[in-house]
Amino acid sequence: MDTTFLATFTPELIVLAAALLVFLLDVLGVRRLETLGAVAVSATAIALLAVVADLGFAPLAILRTIPSGVVDAPLGPSLYGVTSLGLVFQGIFLTSAFLVSLASLSRPSEEKGGAVFFGLLLMATLGMLLAAVASDLIFLLLSVEITGIATYLLVGYTRRDARSLEAAMKFYIVGALSSALSFFGASLIFGAYGGTTFATLESATRVVGYPALALAGFALLIAGLGFKLTLVPFHAWAVDVYDGAPDDVSAFLAGGSKKIGIFAFFLVFVGPVVFAPVLGHWCAAGHCATITLRPTVELALGIVAVLTMTIGNLLALQQKEIKRLLAYSSISQAGYMLIGVAVGTAPALAGATLQVFAHVFLKAGAFLVVAAVLGLGVGPRVEDWRGLATKRPYLMFAFAVMLLGLAGIPLTVGFVSKFVLFSAAVQAEGWFVWLAVAGLLNSALSVFYYARVLKTVYLDPAPEDPTMAERLEAPIGWGRSAAIALAVGAIVVFGIDPALVLNGFQSAAVHFLQVGA
Amino acid sequence: MTVPVLTLTLLTIVVGTVLTFLSKERARFVALGTSVIFLLEVAGLLASYTAWPGPSGGSPGYAYLESYPWIHLSWLTINYTVGVDGISLVMVLLTAFLQVAVVIYSWGETNQPAAYFGLLLLTCLGCFGVFISLDILLFFLFWEAVLIPMFFLIGFWGGPRRRYAALKFFVYTHVASIVMLVGLLALVFYSGATSFDFASVYVAARGLSTSVQVFLFLALLFGFGVKFPIVPFHTWLPDAHVEAPTGASVLLAGLLLKLGGYGLIRWAVEVLPVGMSHLTWLLYVIAFAMIVWGSVVALAQRDLKRLVAYSSINHMGIVLLAIAVYSQLGLLAAVLLMFAHGVVSALLFMVSGSVHHTFGTRDISKLGGITPVTPFLATMVMVGSLASLGLPALISFPAEFTALLATWDRIGYWVVVPLVILVVTAAFYLWMMQRVLFGPKRNVPDHASDVPWFEAAAMGILVALIVVYGILPGFLVNVIVNSPVYGFPGFP
Repeated sequence: MDTTFLATFTPELIVLAAALLVFLLDVLGVRRLETLGAVAVSATAIALLAVVADLGFAPLAILRTIPSGVVDAPLGPSLYGVTSLGLVFQGIFLTSAFLVSLASLSRPSEEKGGAVFFGLLLMATLGMLLAAVASDLIFLLLSVEITGIATYLLVGYTRRDARSLEAAMKFYIVGALSSALSFFGASLIFGAYGGTTFATLESATRVVGYPALALAGFALLIAGLGFKLTLVPFHAWAVDVYDGAPDDVSAFLAGGSKKIGIFAFFLVFVGPVVFAPVLGHWCAAGHCATITLRPTVELALGIVAVLTMTIGNLLALQQKEIKRLLAYSSISQAGYMLIGVAVGTAPALAGATLQVFAHVFLKAGAFLVVAAVLGLGVGPRVEDWRGLATKRPYLMFAFAVMLLGLAGIPLTVGFVSKFVLFSAAVQAEGWFVWLAVAGLLNSALSVFYYARVLKTVYLDPAPEDPTMAERLEAPIGWGRSAAIALAVGAIVVFGIDPALVLNGFQSAAVHFLQVGA
Repeated sequence: MTVPVLTLTLLTIVVGTVLTFLSKERARFVALGTSVIFLLEVAGLLASYTAWPGPSGGSPGYAYLESYPWIHLSWLTINYTVGVDGISLVMVLLTAFLQVAVVIYSWGETNQPAAYFGLLLLTCLGCFGVFISLDILLFFLFWEAVLIPMFFLIGFWGGPRRRYAALKFFVYTHVASIVMLVGLLALVFYSGATSFDFASVYVAARGLSTSVQVFLFLALLFGFGVKFPIVPFHTWLPDAHVEAPTGASVLLAGLLLKLGGYGLIRWAVEVLPVGMSHLTWLLYVIAFAMIVWGSVVALAQRDLKRLVAYSSINHMGIVLLAIAVYSQLGLLAAVLLMFAHGVVSALLFMVSGSVHHTFGTRDISKLGGITPVTPFLATMVMVGSLASLGLPALISFPAEFTALLATWDRIGYWVVVPLVILVVTAAFYLWMMQRVLFGPKRNVPDHASDVPWFEAAAMGILVALIVVYGILPGFLVNVIVNSPVYGFPGFP
């Protein structure tokens, strides 16, 4: 029993051990950025392999640690439960942590605070991994909190930069508020049902129904988690934080840690894992009346999804700075993902998961490129990037692939993910078709600002500035190059053959909806 | 196991494009080699295309059909399916000819030649893909793939307002693509088609109610129409043409507009005949608007390229008219016209480009009497204009004649509208020739050199096509009518 318990948490333990090792090395006086980074890179890589093995990838079977019976087992009294969709999300989280730590190997070696950076990155990843196996509301919120605290510190870790500090402060206050909302919601739910494990909630809702207390709890939960996922109207913090944070941290926030919110939404509002009687397409003999709340929640989430996409895109249109533009585009992407939650069918879950997966490479990749370019001394405004393609053709090619992917142009994984997600909405029929239409119109709208950046980078003449030209010759470091190259490779490969992952996502989504039913 | 000829042909041009991008100074040789091989392969396809294999189990049959699984989920079945019929073969033939011609014409390009030739080939690759795709996702993929090289061709090698034109082109056509995608997705899911293949969509669409068909047809009409370009969504076209480098202009007019026409025929007219029959009036209105508007505005142009661009709208209006009459003759005319316009507008854009860099201006009012100075170029201006205004024995004549005949069959005396406009078209071409070719010399040096050999060769190829197919249109006609659509039940 004990070994099973430990084995279940193999990826988490690897990441935790690595985080402690990083802090220990720091205390022992090993402060070389490359050494500390190597620990983070290898830990995330090994944990990623373990997760992939646990998902049943045959060539890695030797690394498999979780007994197959444990995955997708029916809900029990336990606080945690491994689902294959949870494993998929763990893989996605680890991928983002891996890419960011790989790129951060190329941070300037004389920079202080390497241990803080990599240690906190690993701690944040740990929280994300734990959230993916939560089977209890409090467990889930605590995991989210681990990530939250680590990321507040990450945003401000450079300590000297006033903008970063301001961003960190803002992030901390908003984050604390959202946590308070979530925990208050959870306490109301506990009051209504007398427990917080998903199994308890499932059986209790069937008996008790949904008293006003519980409804208020769910509403607070939507708000609290909505902050994390940057849903409109809880989105305003994200832009200042992504803008003020160190560039690599922005990559991790937008590409990785924010996605914890979407999985929390999956757990709480889609999975019949827990709330089937309240919100799911659930129907037992003679008890079909209990699904009446589902349409209301679907409608609410659908409206939030459309608002988030549209407002994110409209604001992105007006941005003049590249990081703010990417931040707003990130908000709109959260709206697309929420379509999957609102529709709530297995195809929609698979599509939203693919969208999250794609977003790691697209958005984290784009922020890593931005970090590289800003590191060369180019200004943060879009117009400062004029004609950059002639100076750094490969880097800008990568950036172009990422922007085209975010815009949803074919042959990129960004196209496939939107294609599957919107197809799933059309396939679910009913008014969900309009979610697909809203999503497609929004992707058309988003092309404006991505194309504008491409136009500036590729078509506008570069400014005549000899000192700049010299600085642009500087190398960006092999770690960052490798991370960007990996992201581009993934964008194209999964764009051409999405079946590589999509079949797995689909069956994970199907299992997710069946667990506990 | 038959040989996957279409995929192999696609691969030749893929490999050729990649090599072109990589081969720096020698790019033009690689590009020429690729396009010649591609032309030979297409000739082979055409030679071995005897007849469509006939309907298979109620669904249309296609030649050289290949289908491999791509994305298979329980609710989503997408295959890589390619195949051709007579209509797509003729369009592929046009692609192959224009590719060779445009590569030769651009032989003297010195500004980043590898990228320039690579992007030209990439555009043709996308067009070829569109013409052979029989799967919605694959079709959309190639459709969008055309957009990006054209964006860069216009935006990097274009004229003074190139960035604005490139952005406008990209945004207009992309928005249209999105609407088209919604339409196609709705088509699949509403009809309950078992896969994204043309054959299963075709079969399933028979069961759609009239109102759904009308709605879907409207979405597709808009989606394909912007590339067409239907009035009032045509404004990107003159801007894009005027700013684009000559090579891009040739592909834009010669091929990209045909994508709209082809898409409309393949995915809207063939699949949703009932929806179309309720919207015939709308098609007529748009077609007449295009014919009249294109022609009248062309009259007012002083820029040679703008004139050709607006006359393109006029010609594509006749294509839409021929599609709208929805008859065997009309469809034949539409495809013939698209081929004819592809070749003729390509020649006219080459001519405009050559006039521009020989004399430094394309302004009709500033030019005059170029014939004695550059006799070859003047001849080409003349052949192009005469072909465009529909002189018999040149390629446009049989096409336009068939189109008007088909229109007469369906709407009687309304055919007077396009007929009168043909006279206007003739007028603006004659006026242009009179100003530019003859009369006193204006802004023309005494000894300007005539067009370089490569431009002459490219134009020569197109003139040969214009004459050969003008005298013997039967070559094309026999291929076009050898298409499944001619055996569709209920196709008049």
